[in-house]
Amino acid sequence: MGCLGTLLAVSAAPAAAQPHLEGFWAAKLEQTRSGQALIDELPESAVLINDTGAGELAAGDFDGLTLTPAAIEEVRNYDFADELKRESTCNAPSVAFFMQAPFPMEVYQSAELVVFKMEYYDLYRVVFLDGREHPQAAAPHSRSGHSTGRWEGDTLVVDTTHISSGTFMNNGFNHSEDLHMVERFRLSPDGSSLWLTQMYDDPKVFSGLAARYMAWTRRPGEYVYPYDCDPSYGN
Amino acid sequence: MHGSPSRNGVRLWPLLVALLATGAPALAHHSFAVHFVADRLIKVSGTVDEFTFRNPHGVVMLTAKGEDGSAELWKIETNSPNILRRRGWTETSIKPGDAVTVEGYPARDGSNFMRVYRVIYADGHELVGQRPDPNVVSGDD
Repeated sequence: MGCLGTLLAVSAAPAAAQPHLEGFWAAKLEQTRSGQALIDELPESAVLINDTGAGELAAGDFDGLTLTPAAIEEVRNYDFADELKRESTCNAPSVAFFMQAPFPMEVYQSAELVVFKMEYYDLYRVVFLDGREHPQAAAPHSRSGHSTGRWEGDTLVVDTTHISSGTFMNNGFNHSEDLHMVERFRLSPDGSSLWLTQMYDDPKVFSGLAARYMAWTRRPGEYVYPYDCDPSYGN
Repeated sequence: MHGSPSRNGVRLWPLLVALLATGAPALAHHSFAVHFVADRLIKVSGTVDEFTFRNPHGVVMLTAKGEDGSAELWKIETNSPNILRRRGWTETSIKPGDAVTVEGYPARDGSNFMRVYRVIYADGHELVGQRPDPNVVSGDD
């Protein structure tokens, strides 16, 4: 499981009244990070990737992350022109990238499940809170992966494996099928914002830990639109 | 008879094994930052040939007049229609035959391809897509 597994081996705080995450959440493009407290809880060694929401990294910019030789080679051979082709148009990214997109989501919550209905590419996620384990390593992978979660006080901690290889920085740098992701979701004190940090471990393509921060604003009464990706946009 | 799959007599197993071993490169939906210049705007005036408003991007096909007077065909993409619907755009916001000036972000490869900042009509009204923002490299998908 790598170094993230070690970080997870902390005792969970007893579940109090669970924060109410349900509702429609619009991506929040912040100049100043309202959830800085959550970022401060990341390991100091984690490289914080600054491409969330409206941001993107240019070709060759990996925000200080050290890529493995194999990843450098793959980036070198990546053909950006192929992205504009019809067959690439509706190729959705994995959960290691789609959560940061500037699109809204709906969250549904019970004692044993949290479900995310994403507007971006009509994707969804299911987080199991019933104590189950991840499937065996050879089990099928998917864009959303396999997620288990638990409450640590006011924070929902989600552990995800079995994520299909896909976009990591949208500049030709992809993560592998071995990527392991740990997320921490927390509401702002007034409940109007949802904060998230994602932390990644993927020694096949980069050394150490990487992380992202993102935030959403609660908007009661709104709902997720269908995305219905149309490949005819492509050349 | 079972055996290696082949096409035109060429055995494909070695290629298949190589792909499985290395993993085929995952192609992404395109990045704004990689394909467009974020800190420069250009203007193109012409007549709309076609407007499609479907995800991941709306597309305006526009015929403009080049410097030498010849017709130039431009492909102009918008942000995701879902983003723009929440700002009031619809499938009929732009119509074939409309005479417009489009201001936007040029393609890095110099082709007749751009991302919309705004579509300006002669009567002064305009449709705003991706606003320039000095604080971000890109935006809005």
